[in-house]
Amino acid sequence: MRKALELLAAAGEDGDQDGGIMRKVVAENAVVIFARNGCCMCHVVKLLLHGHGVSPTVVDVDELNEVKLAGELTEMIGGEEGPGSAAAMQFPAVFVGGELFGGLEEIMGAHISGELVPKLREARALWL
Amino acid sequence: MTSPTTQFAPPSRMSMYEPLHQMPLWDNAFDGNISSGTGVCVMTEMDTKVDDKIEYTSDKSLEHTEDTRASKSVSEKIQRRLEQNREAARKSRLRKKAYVQQLETSRLKLAQLELELERARQQGLLISGASSSTIGLCGGTVNSGIAAFEMEYSHWIEEQERNISNLRTVLQSPIGDAELQRVVENILNHYCNLFRMKRDAARADAFYLVSGMWKTSLERFFLWIGGFKPSELIGVVMPQLEPLTDEQNVNIFNLRHSCMQAEDALTQGMEKLQQTLAQSITFLVVGAGNCNAQTAAALEKLESLEGFIHQADHLREQTLQQMSRILTTRQAAKGLLAFGEYFARLRALSSLWTGRCPREPG
Repeated sequence: MRKALELLAAAGEDGDQDGGIMRKVVAENAVVIFARNGCCMCHVVKLLLHGHGVSPTVVDVDELNEVKLAGELTEMIGGEEGPGSAAAMQFPAVFVGGELFGGLEEIMGAHISGELVPKLREARALWL
Repeated sequence: MTSPTTQFAPPSRMSMYEPLHQMPLWDNAFDGNISSGTGVCVMTEMDTKVDDKIEYTSDKSLEHTEDTRASKSVSEKIQRRLEQNREAARKSRLRKKAYVQQLETSRLKLAQLELELERARQQGLLISGASSSTIGLCGGTVNSGIAAFEMEYSHWIEEQERNISNLRTVLQSPIGDAELQRVVENILNHYCNLFRMKRDAARADAFYLVSGMWKTSLERFFLWIGGFKPSELIGVVMPQLEPLTDEQNVNIFNLRHSCMQAEDALTQGMEKLQQTLAQSITFLVVGAGNCNAQTAAALEKLESLEGFIHQADHLREQTLQQMSRILTTRQAAKGLLAFGEYFARLRALSSLWTGRCPREPG
C-alpha cells in the first residue's frame, strides 16, 4: 500500500495548499482514500480494498486541514463549497477512477452486490 | 346399573396414571406438589368412583353369568361404560396438560419480567450514581431513547411473528408469484424498520446496541456487532432452498465469501478501535476534569462505535437484498421463512433456558 502525499496534506499548515494538487492526485491514481489519521473506518475500507488486490493511495487528513480539504474535494466533484452545502464531504472518502465513489457504506454495498470489482477493473486498479 | 368388573379395572387405572410418569419435568418443576394439583385431584376422584362401582357390582356380575342374553347386554353396557371412562380420562389428561402448560408459560414470563426488572434497576442505579457529571446527563437521555427502543422492539417482534406465521400459511397455498413477491418485500421492509430503529437507539447508547442488551441470552451468545452475522444467516438458510441452479449456487457462494470478507474487515476495524481506545485511556490524565484534550479525543473515538453498528446493519440489509436478487420469489420466501423460524426457535430456547428450574443440590 502506497502512503503518499502526507507532505502535501501537511502543506496545508502553511495556508497555501494548491487545490490543483488534490485534483492531480485523484486523476492520476486509480483508487484514493482521504481519511483521518488513525480512523478505524478507514482501516476497514483499506482491508476491503486489499482483499481485492488493490493498493490504494491514502491521503492523511488531520484536524488542521480537514475543513479546507473537505471544501476542495466538494468543489472538485462539482458541489458547492461551504457549510451550507447539501452533502457535506465525509471521511473516509474514496475516489475510484478520478470520481468520488463514496464512503465505507458505498464501498461495502458495491462489494456485496458485486459491482465493486467491475468498477475497480474499469479504473485499472486491478492487475488481473 | 352395570359397571366394569374387577378384571377390567386395573388397565384403565394404569392408563390414567401413565401420563404422570411420562412427564418427569413437571414432577421436578413442582417438587412433588403435583399431587395437590387440580388435574390429579380430578383423576383421583374419578379413580375412586370407578373403585366404588367395582366393589358394588362384583357380586351382581357373578349372579348373572349363566343368563347369556342378559350377559350380552351387560357386556355391551360394560363396553359403553368403559368407553365413557376412557373418554373422561382422556379429557381429564388434556385438561391437566393445558393447565400445566399455562403454568409453564407464566413461569417463563415471570422469569423474563424479573430479568427486565433487574436490568432496569441497573440502569436506574447508573443514572442516580453519575447525575453530577456530564456523562450522567447523557445517561439520562440514554434511558428514554433506549426505553423507547425496547418498547418498539417488542412490537416489532409481535409483528414479525405475525409475518412469519402468515408467510408459512401463504407458502402452503396456491399463491401467485406477484402476490408472494409483495409478501417477501413486506418482510424485507420489516427488517429495514428494525435497522432504522437500531440506528436511532445507537445515537442514545451505542454500547447498549453493540452488546445486544435487548436480545435474549442465546441471541447474545451468537452476537456480532449488535446483531446476526450475515454469512451465518446464509449458512442457516441455504439447506432450505434446494434445489438451486448452478448459477445460483455460485452466486450464493460468492455472496457468502463477500460477507465473510466484509465481516472480517469490520471486526478488525472494531479491534483497532479497542486498541486505540485502550492507548488513549492509558494517557488520560486522571482527575483533571472532563475538559482536557485527551479526554475529548477519547470521547471522540467512542463516537465511531455508532458508525460501526450502522455499517454492520447496512451489511445485513445488503445481504438480505442480494439474496432476494439471487433467488426466485418462492425461494426467497422459503429463505425468509427459514430465517424467521430460526430466530423464533432461538428465542424460544433461550426462554426455556432462562425459565428452567434450578437444579437441586445433591
